[in-house]
Amino acid sequence: MIKVRNLQKVYGQGSNATHALKGINITVKSGEFVAIMGRSGSGKSTLLHILGLLDMPTGGEIYIEDTNVLKSSERERARFRLEELGYVFQEYSLLGELTILENVYLPALCLAQVKDYKKRAVEMLTIVGLGERLTHYPNEVSGGEQQRAAIARALINKPKILFADEPTASLDATSAKIVLELFKRLNKDLGQTIVMVTHEPEDEKYVDRVIWLKDGLVWETSPQYDKISLALEGAPLLS
Amino acid sequence: MGNLKVALFLAYKSILKGNRWALALIIMVMSLSFANLILTPSILSGVANTLNKQQVNTLFANVVIDPEEDEYYLDHVEQIENKIKQIPGVIGVSAHLNSSAFIEYQWQDKGSPADKGKSGNWSVIGIDPNQEVNVTTIHEHIIQGSYLEADDRDAIILGIEVAGGDSAQSSSFLTLEGVQVGDKVRLTYPNGVQREYRVKGIFHARETQADRLVFVTTKELTSVLGRTIFADRASQILVKIEQTGDERWFIEELETLGINGKIRSWREYGGAAGGIVSSFNVIASLINGIGLVVAAIVMFIVIYINVLNRKRQIGILRAIGIKTNIVIISYLIQALFYAVLGIIFGELIMHFAIEPYFTNYPLDLPLGLVSLGIEPSAILKAVLGLLLAAIFAGLIPVLSIIRQSIIKSIWGN
Repeated sequence: MIKVRNLQKVYGQGSNATHALKGINITVKSGEFVAIMGRSGSGKSTLLHILGLLDMPTGGEIYIEDTNVLKSSERERARFRLEELGYVFQEYSLLGELTILENVYLPALCLAQVKDYKKRAVEMLTIVGLGERLTHYPNEVSGGEQQRAAIARALINKPKILFADEPTASLDATSAKIVLELFKRLNKDLGQTIVMVTHEPEDEKYVDRVIWLKDGLVWETSPQYDKISLALEGAPLLS
Repeated sequence: MGNLKVALFLAYKSILKGNRWALALIIMVMSLSFANLILTPSILSGVANTLNKQQVNTLFANVVIDPEEDEYYLDHVEQIENKIKQIPGVIGVSAHLNSSAFIEYQWQDKGSPADKGKSGNWSVIGIDPNQEVNVTTIHEHIIQGSYLEADDRDAIILGIEVAGGDSAQSSSFLTLEGVQVGDKVRLTYPNGVQREYRVKGIFHARETQADRLVFVTTKELTSVLGRTIFADRASQILVKIEQTGDERWFIEELETLGINGKIRSWREYGGAAGGIVSSFNVIASLINGIGLVVAAIVMFIVIYINVLNRKRQIGILRAIGIKTNIVIISYLIQALFYAVLGIIFGELIMHFAIEPYFTNYPLDLPLGLVSLGIEPSAILKAVLGLLLAAIFAGLIPVLSIIRQSIIKSIWGN
């Protein structure tokens, strides 16, 4: 589904240049639930932004279902984000002027072919457990509920891949658990491909695979990693 | 169409749930800018209207009939007057017999014939007061004494700039230096005839040219100039019509009557005022241009701050795949909404506050009382100007945010 080849990202120029990604090569299969982990500054958020087409790399290639998405125009990338990708942000990202229902159906409203956007939004909100909160505004619901609404919004156009950037970082333990279980359920029941950045060690149990990053490089991509041996080698201590 | 629907939806929700104070501030700025765009040209237009009105009411009426170029006088005046009165829309017709005179006040006190004393040369117009009141408003501007009557022979009325005194604007040596009603003045006409008159009235028409005129009855002036020669003759015939502005049509009607004379609209006489009006238009355009730029900058700042506060929201919209065009159109719709509300409120302010104020308390200028002259063209220009300013002020901030990367819009780095 996703093939990343030699992905690089450099901020600044000359002696001030910071190499955030130094040549990432990863593959995510369809239906996988993958976590990208690493300590602060390892490049995990940068990688997710680039995979989600929110930012452009300095070099490398990203294939999503054999299409090199980096060669498309900004307009095409916007369309790709709308139709093929879903994105859940670290902080609450709902629009305060729209109700929960309106926030969720907004991306579908932009697609002419989606006629039953309201019905679909209600279904999505029911799936994430917010069927009773349709007419509430974001400031009238809890942080966990906002994040679940953001997940419903990300799923409204039935994306091929759902990206989540530390989706539980702003949540209390109970809300975080609800969100992660929701991801797991979406992955298991609907076969939704999910790529999630997290720094919570306990999140590992929800995912199929962890991609460890250290200093802009992939350190390990196996679920059977040995934390002790990684630590002995001076490896990614979780932040 | 789908894009417009989404843009309208976002704009509607943004306005509905946005900051009420920001909305009120933006609309207030727009309203006042709009009122200002109309107010300045309306004052200048009011001045021009007053100038024009004064010329019509005190000097020329609407239409002036002069003798042909090779003639000194119009003949068969009574017949012409009767013909003109038949035309629908005519309010009054008045024949003027024009002359001039050397006018002296307190001439008895002069030390010698070479002493100028209190004297000067002015135009003297012979009128039939009964006809004249239907054509000019001089009778309404009597500030001392009373107006002429048809049978008056030894009476004269003087413009304030002839009589002099505290109310006159001219330097005292250019006037009779303070003639009062009841005083005697002596007129020496070009044919050498000398007459003494009792000053019956002094008028202040607030029209400089009119205030330098002197009126006696036609009967009196005819007797001075020669009763046999000037009977049924006039130097000019002034015609007052119901609706100022219909002169063109009216002149065409007059031309069909076969009058032996030159028929002109008052506008052809108002050359000097026309120049002033043109200058006012230039000044009004300049002030409006500056006002529009200031309004656009103020709107830009207010909308820019508003957009800046929604920078993260714009980033999120783009991140979830909303096209930049939709975001831009949404903000453009909001800016136009502010402008339209500003126009509506601005118009209400003008219509229910500023205009009635100027009607009740007109500006008291030397040329007369000036109220607002709100022209439809000024309103149209203000509407178009404000809409353009709103488009500029709404587009530039959102375009500057859109140019930033999505990451920078959302997280600011």
